[in-house]
Amino acid sequence: MSKRKLLATAGIVVASALAFSACTPATPTAPSPGATAGGSTAAPSGPTAVSVAWNQAFYSRNSDTDYGNATANANILYLTNDSAGYYDGDLNIAKNESFATYEKVSDDPLQVKITFADTATWSDGTPVDAADAVLLWGAVSTNFNTIEAATEEDGPGAQVDDEGNVTGVEGDNVYFNAASPGHTLIKDFPEISEDGKEITFTYSEPFVDWEILAMGPTTVPAHIVAKRALESADPAAAKQALIDAFQNNDRASLSKIAKVFNEDFNFKSMPADEELVVGSGPYVITELVEEQYVTVEKNENYQGMRAPKIDKITVRIIADAQASVQALQNGEVVVTQPQSTADILTQLQGLDNVEVLTQTGGTYEHVDLVFNNGGPFDPASYGGDAEKAKKVRQAFLHTLPRQRIIDNIIKPLNPEAEIRNTYNVVPGSPEYDATVEANGMKATYGEGSNVDKAKELLAEAGVTNPTVRMMFAQNNTRRQQEFQLIKETAEQAGFTVVDASSLDWGQLLGTNDVYDASLFGWQSTSVGVSQVPPNYLTTGQNNYGKFSNEQVDTLLNELNVTTDTDRQNEIVSEVEKILVDEAFGLTIFQFPEITGYDSTKIKNVKSIALSPTFFWNFWEWEVVA
Amino acid sequence: MARFIARRLALALVTLFILSFLMYGLLEFALDPLVDLRENPAPNREQLIANRVRLLNLDVPWYQRYFLWLGNFLQGDFGIGWRTMQPVGSMVRGAIATSIQLVFAATIISILLGVTIGLVSALRQYTTFDYAITFVSFLLYSLPIFWVAVLLKQFLAISANDYLQNPTINWPLVITLSLVSGLFWAGALGGRREKKIKVFLTALVVTLAVFMVTLMTGWVENPSIGIIGVGVLSIAFALGVTAIFAGMNNKRALYSALTTAVLGTIVWWPLQWLFHYWQMSWPWMLGLLAIALAVAAVIGWLFGGPDRNISIRGTMLAALFTSVLIFVDRVLQTWGPYNDTPQIRGRPLATIGAATPGLHGDFWMQQLDRATHIMLPTLALVMISFATYVRYQRGAMLEVLNQDYIRTARAKGLSERVVIVRHALRNALMPLASIVPVDFITLIGGAVITETIFGWAGMGRLFLTSLGGQEVDPVMFYIILTGGLAMIANLVADFLYAVIDPRIRVNA
Repeated sequence: MSKRKLLATAGIVVASALAFSACTPATPTAPSPGATAGGSTAAPSGPTAVSVAWNQAFYSRNSDTDYGNATANANILYLTNDSAGYYDGDLNIAKNESFATYEKVSDDPLQVKITFADTATWSDGTPVDAADAVLLWGAVSTNFNTIEAATEEDGPGAQVDDEGNVTGVEGDNVYFNAASPGHTLIKDFPEISEDGKEITFTYSEPFVDWEILAMGPTTVPAHIVAKRALESADPAAAKQALIDAFQNNDRASLSKIAKVFNEDFNFKSMPADEELVVGSGPYVITELVEEQYVTVEKNENYQGMRAPKIDKITVRIIADAQASVQALQNGEVVVTQPQSTADILTQLQGLDNVEVLTQTGGTYEHVDLVFNNGGPFDPASYGGDAEKAKKVRQAFLHTLPRQRIIDNIIKPLNPEAEIRNTYNVVPGSPEYDATVEANGMKATYGEGSNVDKAKELLAEAGVTNPTVRMMFAQNNTRRQQEFQLIKETAEQAGFTVVDASSLDWGQLLGTNDVYDASLFGWQSTSVGVSQVPPNYLTTGQNNYGKFSNEQVDTLLNELNVTTDTDRQNEIVSEVEKILVDEAFGLTIFQFPEITGYDSTKIKNVKSIALSPTFFWNFWEWEVVA
Repeated sequence: MARFIARRLALALVTLFILSFLMYGLLEFALDPLVDLRENPAPNREQLIANRVRLLNLDVPWYQRYFLWLGNFLQGDFGIGWRTMQPVGSMVRGAIATSIQLVFAATIISILLGVTIGLVSALRQYTTFDYAITFVSFLLYSLPIFWVAVLLKQFLAISANDYLQNPTINWPLVITLSLVSGLFWAGALGGRREKKIKVFLTALVVTLAVFMVTLMTGWVENPSIGIIGVGVLSIAFALGVTAIFAGMNNKRALYSALTTAVLGTIVWWPLQWLFHYWQMSWPWMLGLLAIALAVAAVIGWLFGGPDRNISIRGTMLAALFTSVLIFVDRVLQTWGPYNDTPQIRGRPLATIGAATPGLHGDFWMQQLDRATHIMLPTLALVMISFATYVRYQRGAMLEVLNQDYIRTARAKGLSERVVIVRHALRNALMPLASIVPVDFITLIGGAVITETIFGWAGMGRLFLTSLGGQEVDPVMFYIILTGGLAMIANLVADFLYAVIDPRIRVNA
């Protein structure tokens, strides 16, 4: 081919190519509207949507079973299920009367009446009523379980096969895999009004935290459970069948109900049966992708007061803290609450457009002493001289460098961090200040590191160079750092502090002859007081140091049966006073929590110390246009 | 043969049994399924503990529990992840698929890139180029992936998205990259000083020009290939393939490859209509690819001649390349609409996850979405793993090049291309047979850290989550699966080696 021919051919080829490409089908366009934004705001006309990050995937629509009880589920259910009360930004209990109201109708016996509002409906249109409350009580009270009583030898006990299905539940055995100590106290079948909107529970003995139980009177919808278990398709009939099953203790039906309650609501991807995601809240789950994300959209049938402004919320699963910060930076999520470290905080603060909230979380750090192991804090070591042992305890507690620990370890994460000065009351909750005033912890121990006072007390006690073995989690860097600070000041005062840390510290807590002081965290899950007695009663299950004080026992036993909130607070304050006087131990700080959100995309994000943290005011969230 | 396989399988089974028993025991000591309950101040803790003990048979000694577990496992019941009450069988199904998706592309690219660079590096032994490649590959090999991943996200996703939203060209970066490209090509092609300078300048100018055209015409913000791009690239590829594998003197091979490239380019046009009127899917894609390859084979056969197979191989490679180009072109056509979706809003490069939540696009947009998500983790994996192949292939190639038969081939006057491609390369690729199967099968084990950082729910992440969640059954499944597959992979590698290399006998 000559050059001219070649050029001509090339010319023709290019020209025809251009002609070809000119007459191709129209360029595709964006998918049809209805799709919504992930991470960023949608067009003003379209539906609004946001994506937020959480570190664990949703896996159960029923958070009232033992294994479904996790924050990852609780957050989503907070969006998709309504409740009669919730914690507001100051940890007060706020009431949601558009769902239900509750009142204590009698003190002796304790009776609580719950009235469901007419606006309370499940997302399939069925009203929420007493049947739903009966289901929750019947299931988590475990009063209907027949397995508990049966032992290995004398009967067919419930066993779990390797698929996790509880076997032995078939037939006449009933086993709800759940446990709620408060509900257990309601032994009699509740009274239900004619229209099914009112239900009155009678407690066999008083229960302190009745209000916390009354706040969340329902869980999974009774008509769905009954439909699946008892095969009655009509919602009203299904509800009645479920009530009858519990009322008559019909074990054949209950065992089927229990099976549905335990198993059917555990799913990690969108279930084939949409009825399984029916909820009573402002949102419904519309998309669920295993370990990736869960999307909730506005519930058309919701008539309650927590009506949200955003149409669609996607919770993306980002396990890695660093990755969630970068996703926030890249606009893939608009809110994240990564595990707090100083690096993550610095990184978040360095981002434009990102607002960082630092506040206290639900877990608090504390030092407990051991009273009965023949160690330095046990009166038995001094021939039963209780006064002498107390002085040694006080001396040790005086050396604890509380403020230094906060300055060195916690302040970098939460600049507003303060010493926690109560054993039982969550900082920021309404009762905190009054309790601090009453218990004297702040007045007595203050900022800690009081070496002179400690030396003085040791001299008074006439004890020289006591050895304290301190146990904490060996693999926890933060606690190792705390231990170093504690050791430093305590040794200045004449103590010898020995590192008794262990990987198995959790198991070893119960065997208190291997340590004299322990350093670990307790997690607060509610502002209720039923968590208090187990820590300080002589026989309390969490009283690892075997503290024993008659007056405390009396007060706590009274607390266990006191339903009057004011009296509860009084008792807690009195107990705390004795604990400080007797040098039980000391609390140090509340774990910090960091929340970052993109203020150019979303506003009104706040977080609270208790679950559901930053989700608590989701209905106030607004996209920034 | 059968005896060999039977013996190896029996050995593998015994090893697996010992492995699983030891691991079960170690997990018993390492994990504490009650740990979260110990820190829980709830008043009903004893009951919660009792429930869990019953759930997990914790009252049975671990060696007895092991046999319970083994019995169920052998019957196909893999246990539960008790934290979420999901059967292990359903947990791993999604995880395995995700892991394969994530690691498959990375492994293929690592092998292709690593082997090629290794070969070139061997051919240029002891030159600056060779040293530079050695330095860079070791450098990348020693980088921690969590760090690489964070940097990649920062620069190739976040900054790149910022650029797309507000394009301002970073000239120092463009010029540095052009210089690197010039040096690379000058080193790789080698030759005398003048040739090197020429190559360097050409590569520098071409790279710079490509950058300027793509950046300044806005191609980067709205990339496309089009029929002209497909045509030019296909023809260039056809020429390249012929030059390397057949030699430009083999006119039949040349013309058959060119015909395929041109035909493929013409087919681009009717395909646009097909893609427009029919909803596409992966079976469709694979079917079209198969047709393309078949047609290419026919073209190669028709051009025929004494070396039919060479022609057929060339045309099939050209057809594969053109098909991929047409696919990429069609995917890129959704770039604009993809960017306009409310989920993306002009920030297409993702740092997390395997797909954009709630994006309900067509087949093409889904592929684009997948690409924007898989790009970074793939790059991270390639960066740290291709070094192995570079070193391996360089060594293998050097060993072959120093052998007598290569000298003989050169002595009898064969061209350098024939010596390297026909005589040396084939033998130098043989050792790969022993590492590639192992690499491929261990894909299923996932890339633990990469998956966690990029938010992919694969096997690696499953393993970590289960370990952290004190769940024994999923961890055991992971161990048995990866352990078992590693053994199978080794068996396959040995077997493959024996098939390729006649000097090795399986019966030994």
